[in-house]
Amino acid sequence: MDATYPGAVAPERHRTLTSLGLRLHVAEWGDPAAEPVLLLHGFYDHVHAFDLLAPLLAERFRVVSYDARGHGESEWPDSYAWQTDVLDAIHVLRDLGRPAHVVGHSRGGGLATDCAAQYPDPVRGLVVLDGFGPPPLSQPNAFQRHRLQGSVPQQLTTWLDWRRGVAARRTFAPASSLEELAARRQVQNPRLSLEWLRYFAAHGSRRVGEGFAWNFDPMASRGAGPFRPEWIAPGWRRLKAPMLAVVGDEPDTWGPLDESILSERLANVPVLTRATVQGAGHFMHIEKPRETAALIRDFLEAA
Amino acid sequence: MLRLRSGRTDVALHTLRDAAGPTLLCLHALRGRAADFAELAPHWPGRVLALDFSGHGASDRPRGGSYTPELLAGDADAALAHTGNACVLGVGLGAYVALLLAGGRPSRVQAAYLLPGAGLEGSRTLPHTLVSGEALRAEVARLLEAASHRDAPGFDPMVCALDADPRPPDYARAHADAATRLLFGEDGELRPPWWEMSRESAAALRAPSDPRAGLTMLYASAEATS
Repeated sequence: MDATYPGAVAPERHRTLTSLGLRLHVAEWGDPAAEPVLLLHGFYDHVHAFDLLAPLLAERFRVVSYDARGHGESEWPDSYAWQTDVLDAIHVLRDLGRPAHVVGHSRGGGLATDCAAQYPDPVRGLVVLDGFGPPPLSQPNAFQRHRLQGSVPQQLTTWLDWRRGVAARRTFAPASSLEELAARRQVQNPRLSLEWLRYFAAHGSRRVGEGFAWNFDPMASRGAGPFRPEWIAPGWRRLKAPMLAVVGDEPDTWGPLDESILSERLANVPVLTRATVQGAGHFMHIEKPRETAALIRDFLEAA
Repeated sequence: MLRLRSGRTDVALHTLRDAAGPTLLCLHALRGRAADFAELAPHWPGRVLALDFSGHGASDRPRGGSYTPELLAGDADAALAHTGNACVLGVGLGAYVALLLAGGRPSRVQAAYLLPGAGLEGSRTLPHTLVSGEALRAEVARLLEAASHRDAPGFDPMVCALDADPRPPDYARAHADAATRLLFGEDGELRPPWWEMSRESAAALRAPSDPRAGLTMLYASAEATS
C-alpha cells in the first residue's frame, strides 16, 4: 500500500497470534527490547489508527497493537461477546512475556480497562483515550438511540430477524472508490480530515467486486447482548494500575461524556490522573498526536 | 437429525418423537445435549424435537469462542423457523433461553415450560467486575483454561462463560411480560433472581417440577391459548 500521510509510519513488524482459535494480526513499532506498550484501537478502526501516535511512542517504547477480532486483518469469528474481546487482549498481553503499559482508545479503552481489572499483574500503567463507556441509557447518544428502539423484547425480535439475514452478509454496501469510503466515514467522524481518512481507508479496506469495503465484519456491530452503562464504572475500583484518563475539549459525534457523568465514573478509579488535549475531539491521537504522545509518555515514565 | 443454519454455524435438531399433534421444542441445560430429553419424549402427545445448542452435542462450535444467551436464542429461533409454532421446554440455561424466545417471538412460542438446571442458576444481579477480586481472578483463570482446551469432547469448554453471564433480572422480566404463557416448574427451592422476578409476570403460572405433570399442564396451556 503506497498511501502516505504526514507523520504516519506504518508498523515495522507484523505477526500472527492465535487467541481462542482465531488468528489476530499483531503489529509493532520500535525497539523490540524496549519496555512494551500495548495499544488497543476503537470500534470500526484498525491498527493503522495508531500510525501517527505509535512512531512518537516508539522513540521510547516497544509499541505493540493488534486488530481486534472482526477488524482489520484479524479473522472474523462466528459470534461476538465483550468478554472474548477482553480475553484476546489478555492473550496478547501474556504473549509479550513481561509487564506492559496498556493504552486504549474509545472501545479499546474499555477493553484496556477491563483487561487491567481482570488480569492486573502484568499491567503497569493504563491510559484511556475517551473510552469511558456510553452515556447512561437515560441520556442516550445517537448510537444508543439507534440500537435501543422498541421495548427490550422487541429489541430481541429485531436482533433475531437481523441475525437470520446477516450471516450471509460479508460487508456493508461497498463504496465505488477509496475517496467515497473516506467521505462516508467523515459523516460519522466529521472532525477527521479527508486526507487522513483516505490514508486510513487505504490501509483498512479491500476490493469487493468493482468497489471497496472496510475490513470490518458487519456482524461485529451487534449481538453482545444487553449492556448497562451504569455497570461499567463500579468495576474500576478493582484496578491496581494507575490510570491516565484523557479527553479532548471539542464536542464530537461520540464523546466526551458530560463532565458530571465522567467525574462520577472516574471517582471509582483508585489512582487517577486526568488530562485534556486542547483543540481535539474523540480522536485526539489522530488530531493532536504530539500532544497526546507527550501526555502518555510523561505519565508512563512516572508509572 | 437435521442440521440447520444459525448465523454462521450449523446447529443439530433431533427428532425424539414423530407423531401427529402439537410440536414440543426441547432446550437443554448448560453442558447438556438433545438426548437428555429421550426419556421424556413419549410423554408429549405430539412431535418432540430437541436442539443441541451451539458448542454442545452435534452442533458447531462457533469460531472465536463467544457465547451469549442471545446467541443461543438465535439457535432456538432457527429451530422455530423450521418447526413453526411450538411449545418450548427449557432446562437451566435452556429455560433462560426459552424465556427470551417466548418474549422475542411471542406469536411463535405458544407456551414455555421452565425447569431448573445447569447454567445461569448462579446468575448474578451484578456484572463480573463487581464480584470480589479473588472470584474475578478465578473466573478469568477458568476462561483462560477453557480457551486452551477447546477441542475437548462433548461440549466446547468456553460455554462456561454462560455460567456466569450477567444479565439484569429486569431484562428477563421484560421478556416474561411479552410472552404468551410461561410455566415455572417449582419445587420450593430458591431460584436465581431472573427466575424469581419473571415468575411474577402476568404470563406466568406455577407448574409442577415433575416434568411429566408439567408437560400435561403445558399441553393444556397451549390448547387454551391457541
